[in-house]
Amino acid sequence: MAEAVQTRPKRYINTWLLVRIAVGVLVGAYLVWRLWIILFVEQPYGPDTWLRFAISGIILGSVYAVIALGYTLVYGILFMINFAHGDVMMLGCFAGYFTLEVLDASGFLNRDVPSTIISLAVTFVIGMAVGTLVAIALERIAYRPLRMAPRLVPLISAIGASLFLENAAQLMFGAARHTYTNPDIIERNTGWTIMVAGEEVLITYTGVLTIVLSIILMVGLAVLVRRTKMGMAMRAVAEDKKTAALMGINVDRIIGSTFAISGALAGAAGVLWGLHMGIVYHFVGFIPGLKAFTAAVMGGIGNIPGAMLGGLSLGVLEAVGPPLLGIPFQLKDVVAFTILVLVLIFRPTGLLGEVLAEKKA
Amino acid sequence: MDLRASLRDGLIAGIINVFLILLGLTTLIGEMVQSWFELESPTLGAWLLLLLVTVGAGVRAARLELKRPGWAALVAGLISGVAHGLLIGISLFITGTLIAGGAQLRQWLYQLNEQAVQMLTFGTSPAVAALIALGLVVGATLVGALLALVWARLGIRDSVRKGTGAVSRGVSNIPAVQSFAKFKYRQVIVFVVIAAVLLAAPQVIGRYWNYTMGTVGIYVLLGLGLNIVVGFAGLLDLGYVAFFAIGAYTVGLLTAPEPHGILMNVWLALPIGVVVAALSGILLGVPVLRMRGDYLAIVTLGFGEIIRILSKSDVLTDFSGGPRGVRNIGGPSLFGVEVSSAMNFMYIILLGIGLVAFVTHRLQNSRTGRAWMAMREDEDVAEAMGVFTLKYKLLAFAIGAAFAGLGGGIYASRNQFVGPEDFTLMVSINVLCLVIIGGMGSIPGVIVGALVLKGMPEILRELDEYRMLFFGALLIFMMIVRPEGLWPSKRRQMELHEQAEAPPEYHTATG
Repeated sequence: MAEAVQTRPKRYINTWLLVRIAVGVLVGAYLVWRLWIILFVEQPYGPDTWLRFAISGIILGSVYAVIALGYTLVYGILFMINFAHGDVMMLGCFAGYFTLEVLDASGFLNRDVPSTIISLAVTFVIGMAVGTLVAIALERIAYRPLRMAPRLVPLISAIGASLFLENAAQLMFGAARHTYTNPDIIERNTGWTIMVAGEEVLITYTGVLTIVLSIILMVGLAVLVRRTKMGMAMRAVAEDKKTAALMGINVDRIIGSTFAISGALAGAAGVLWGLHMGIVYHFVGFIPGLKAFTAAVMGGIGNIPGAMLGGLSLGVLEAVGPPLLGIPFQLKDVVAFTILVLVLIFRPTGLLGEVLAEKKA
Repeated sequence: MDLRASLRDGLIAGIINVFLILLGLTTLIGEMVQSWFELESPTLGAWLLLLLVTVGAGVRAARLELKRPGWAALVAGLISGVAHGLLIGISLFITGTLIAGGAQLRQWLYQLNEQAVQMLTFGTSPAVAALIALGLVVGATLVGALLALVWARLGIRDSVRKGTGAVSRGVSNIPAVQSFAKFKYRQVIVFVVIAAVLLAAPQVIGRYWNYTMGTVGIYVLLGLGLNIVVGFAGLLDLGYVAFFAIGAYTVGLLTAPEPHGILMNVWLALPIGVVVAALSGILLGVPVLRMRGDYLAIVTLGFGEIIRILSKSDVLTDFSGGPRGVRNIGGPSLFGVEVSSAMNFMYIILLGIGLVAFVTHRLQNSRTGRAWMAMREDEDVAEAMGVFTLKYKLLAFAIGAAFAGLGGGIYASRNQFVGPEDFTLMVSINVLCLVIIGGMGSIPGVIVGALVLKGMPEILRELDEYRMLFFGALLIFMMIVRPEGLWPSKRRQMELHEQAEAPPEYHTATG
């Protein structure tokens, strides 16, 4: 493909360069001006408030990162957008909700600290198991028959699956919003307080849990993909399905397990989302799914470190962006999508994506 | 004897049945059957649905064993049935016991109210009901297995196939049909008939259907526009609703008394809306020129969301009404007479569709159309062949956006209101789905797709809660059995079936 890039007409490159330079100068100047105003002229927030923004951004970003990993894994292997991924997360969230309700009703949840820890572990396992099962079923029913079809076909099928799951959840669990039952020791909005510039900043337990668990999941995935035999098979299938099959890899099975892993990650993200945000309903996966997909593209879709970087930076920028630019928080999604557009203007294949995007996208 | 396969199939069928119960479909069918046949209780209908699935599972279980002696198929059916029956029986027992104990399952599982459970348990005690269920399921599975066996042994399938073949041959053998197929001006006749029907229809179908079909028509406009972007030029645009919104807001703001009070004539505002939408198409096109495939998809999706969130936010309240939207948008008038009834709008929409379809048709085989298709097949090769992709991409975005702007303008004027909630991501997704369901790159396909996608939910209104569920399932089903769409363009149909018929080397040699 490199030759093809060089053979582009000269006019094309010049136009493109002009667009880039103009956008770069404008955005750069605007940012410098805003920073100047924020830091020296208006000073609307103290350091403690900025820290609060950053913390909430990191928490949100780590959930995005975990969901984005699922998108990126599937994309890396099948080159398809798994539009129903956010809904897998929603079902994981519901599974965690039901588990916690049952454990709470039985009194085991809050009996003592070890039982709470066991309960949480059980909740995560069930959430991840449900995510895995749904993702496997999805792959079998909606995607596997379309393996050979042109790229838009599985996308439409995925949209259909997304609609189906959302409406099935609404019919089964009702349209009402349910409140997550947290164990008492990690009640929402409780946590450690630290003093910054004479102000108290709350670091919630659920937030810390979210960050720690996402790091564990991300490291686990990285080890799985880089160090294990299955990871090697996955990378081989991503590179070239036909050759991988010739090397004795069961391609169908590897694709199935890729979906299983992405489903497990989505399920875990769903439980984390429930514990931290506290609300679950049939539409809960839509916005995080969209954002995580944005994050995956921003980081370079198909690229695992890219998904982590994209998720984290999207979360932080979404939280810090509106106050930095002095616009209402309503517009945080606008900030997120604008950043995505800017990133892709300067790096059309995402922050860390190089090889893959030019080749297939 | 593949014991594991039978067991697995039985369990899967059981899970499907439990899922149907949890979705409340059993209750729905039960009540429908009860009211149709004026039965005393809905139990029969509810079980009818479950047993249909079960018979299907029996057929499936037996199908794997058909090459063996007859008893193998029946044993497979029995195994599948017992696994299935145990699953259903145990779930019924647990649910029945819980409900009898006064548990409020409805709080968690919305469809499991007392009546729904009673429908399935025959009003007896949970244990008895579980046993009956087991018996019913095993029986139905065996019936299914037996059916499959009889079907295969008697060779019914082949005779059915012969029959349908004969019917379709018979129709084409009728002399009148044959001579019509040869008639020189048949296209003209078909066109005139369709035009006459379309012109007459709005007079007779009444207000409600005029409004509904008007909505379908607006989606046809959107579909034809997206068809150019996705179907012809191969640029996956998931934020197409943005241009619809821009067209609608432009017309709305120019003709409404608030917030600007310009009160322009709608006939003047419509072309302005179209031009503004086309310009915004170019504006969006410039930064995404270098992106391909899914990167383009997510960026356009982002643009669509940006437009919606901006229109919803308080920042632009003074300019575009914010969350309240724009009210009292002007209707069109002809020679001083207001013509804004649903029927008149139907004519305006038909006129718009005619215009847009004509433009699309002329573009399709022009130099521009061929450049788009070359770009769709392979951008690098197209460029190497001298197609100036920058220009053609922007042209595709601009024309697609202009069509959406027209649709948006008519929409705003017809509803006399635009608000941010009219322009959600679902609109983009619906339009993309209708283009693909109808057949990408095909003008009649888009019309068929819009009729199916926007018209079918209207017909399914009886099943109100369930229609989006069916819609989702239908999308998946369509993609599996007929990915080229209902009315595909010739070229695309060839592409999709090429792999099946020709070896892959052929592909590189010709394409």
